Amino acid sequence: MFPRPIQKSPPWLQLSYKALLPVALVIWLLPLIGIAVTSVRPSSDLAAGNYFGWPSRFAGVENYASVFQNSNIGWYILNSFKVTIPTVIGAVGLSCLTGFALAVYKFRLNLAVFFMFVAGNFVPFQILAIPVRELTLRLGLYDTITGLVLFHAAFQTGFCTLFMRNFIKALPFALIESARVEGVSEWKIFRHIVLPLMRPAIAALSVLIFTFVWNDYFWATIMAQSADVRPVTAGMNELKGQWKVAWELITAASIVAALPPVAMFFLMQKHFIAGLTLGATKG
Amino acid sequence: MADVTLRAITKSFGDVRIIKGIDLEIADGEFCVFVGPSGCGKSTLLRMIAGLEDITSGSLSIGGREMADVEPAGRGVAMVFQSYALYPHMTVRDNISFGLRMTGHKPADIEARLRRAADMLQLTHLLDRKPSQLSGGQRQRVAIGRAIVREPQVFLFDEPLSNLDAALRVQMRTEIGKLHADLRATMIYVTHDQVEAMTMAGKIVVLNAGAVEQAGSPLELYHRPRNLFVAGFIGSPRMNFVAGTAAPAAHGRIEVVLGDGARVLLDGRGATVTAAQPVTLGIRPEHLTAGGGGLRATVRLAEYLGSETMFYAQLADGSGIAVKADGLAKAAAGSTLDIGINPAACHLFDKDGVAVIHGDLTR
Ligand SMILES: Nc1ncnc2c1ncn2[C@@H]1O[C@H](COP(=O)(O)OP(=O)(O)OP(=O)(O)O)[C@@H](O)[C@H]1O
Ligand SMILES: [Mg+2]
Repeated sequence: MFPRPIQKSPPWLQLSYKALLPVALVIWLLPLIGIAVTSVRPSSDLAAGNYFGWPSRFAGVENYASVFQNSNIGWYILNSFKVTIPTVIGAVGLSCLTGFALAVYKFRLNLAVFFMFVAGNFVPFQILAIPVRELTLRLGLYDTITGLVLFHAAFQTGFCTLFMRNFIKALPFALIESARVEGVSEWKIFRHIVLPLMRPAIAALSVLIFTFVWNDYFWATIMAQSADVRPVTAGMNELKGQWKVAWELITAASIVAALPPVAMFFLMQKHFIAGLTLGATKG
Repeated sequence: MADVTLRAITKSFGDVRIIKGIDLEIADGEFCVFVGPSGCGKSTLLRMIAGLEDITSGSLSIGGREMADVEPAGRGVAMVFQSYALYPHMTVRDNISFGLRMTGHKPADIEARLRRAADMLQLTHLLDRKPSQLSGGQRQRVAIGRAIVREPQVFLFDEPLSNLDAALRVQMRTEIGKLHADLRATMIYVTHDQVEAMTMAGKIVVLNAGAVEQAGSPLELYHRPRNLFVAGFIGSPRMNFVAGTAAPAAHGRIEVVLGDGARVLLDGRGATVTAAQPVTLGIRPEHLTAGGGGLRATVRLAEYLGSETMFYAQLADGSGIAVKADGLAKAAAGSTLDIGINPAACHLFDKDGVAVIHGDLTR
């Protein structure tokens, strides 16, 4: 078996493995641990310069409560959902269709179109900031949820298409041909054969896009201004305080804001199934 | 009626011509087998009949109807793929009925057809399993079941048995044969396997490099191969070929002098040769006998198979010759073997590989 199970290696190796692994893990997670600990620190600790030491007392409840009381974070989280969910549905849904078309149909510009989707991913989005702002202003989409959704979906669909097209390409093509010989319409082939087999890809991509869009700060600051539209990443700014940065509140808010993507991952986890096409062929 | 007619069919992938002009008539209800070496275009030809591959030129008709512009679904064909192509996320029941459900058949009708197919293929107890929970032979039967329920006029099989073990292959072979007898549909079957081709076929089509070498009944191909390729391809173990020269002899006979000087006198059967014409003599291992005059060779290898013994020997001029002898025959490697040759079973090919004389023992 490869790799060789650690249980079969010499004792000294097993021991050092077991000792080093947690250390590596802690180092890896240090920033996250820092944020979590800061979020339960009383503000006096930070004023006294106790950034990395043990909190003088547990202030978690008051910090988290104050995040909700002193800012509109609940409202901003709702905004984030209003932006993220339609984006995920739009980008993943569209890319299922484009991916299917690019993977299954032979047409002259197939590769050219595909490369255009791929090339779009290489454009650094910073250079698009000003044109996109201009465009949204003229379309009357500036500072609207719809505007954010449309532009996020447009930007994500390129990568999603690349992902989906390659996934569908890897399915046994004979499945589609077999259905064609049986007289099944193309739409039904997509709906009843390809789509069910894409479940792991859809789940993986949904989590990825959800996290990406949820964590977006760039477009949130460029395309949203009013509190009605501002997603949680931009909204957290409010907690900065007027004269000093209230780190204990910002970290607490960050943790709250990071929860939905984590929840999303666990929600989708059961769909990450390997070997869904097992049994389709002789192999 | 579902006869399949191919006229001057060609197929090119880009600039590469894969199918080079095929004319073929397959009668209604016939069991036609395509054989040929790997890459000769068997699958491509089958896919063209199914409508999965465009025809570059030529015409294809099924049941007298021109098929050039007909979608695969409208051709009345069902195909069993080289790789079964079962829908992995559906149960056996759903796999078999999928096509019917998607094309608006009545539930009662679907159920009846499903029952009948499952009975015929002994799949009834497996209907609720997924393909991943089936053995290779069971998957193969599901693939056939999916074809049967559509009640096609023409079945297309692409090497359906190639990945099964020997025992299962024999069993499935008889089952497909039975199926053909029951359904009386036209079947076109691609295989690599000699025995499959010989036992199942009503007609064998030998393909080579995208062209038909010969088409005919199994025994016709065995006894009267039209050229060296067919002679070497049909029959197992393979026919022996020995180079030599031919010359006319008395009473319309033909004398062949082999490379090592041995002489064989053949009945000319109307064929004519010029003096010292270079030829290839073909004779099957089963028509040679160990012992008896004719040829003298050195044994290189003996295989004792119980029912028979195979001697692989070498003639004086270096050409190899295989002899299928009685199971009790014995000869050590390195010893000299006298090989008896039956002139009536000898095939003679000219230097272009075209048969001049058929060693047809049935006449
Ligand atoms: N889509 C394609 N593009 C280019 N060449 C192809 C394509 N499909 C098949 N070929 C070529 O056509 C030839 C015939 O292929 P085909 O699959 O019909 O062979 P086959 O007789 O079925 O072989 P096998 O017995 O190995 O299955 C091969 O040389 C193959 O490389
Ligand atoms: Mg093939």
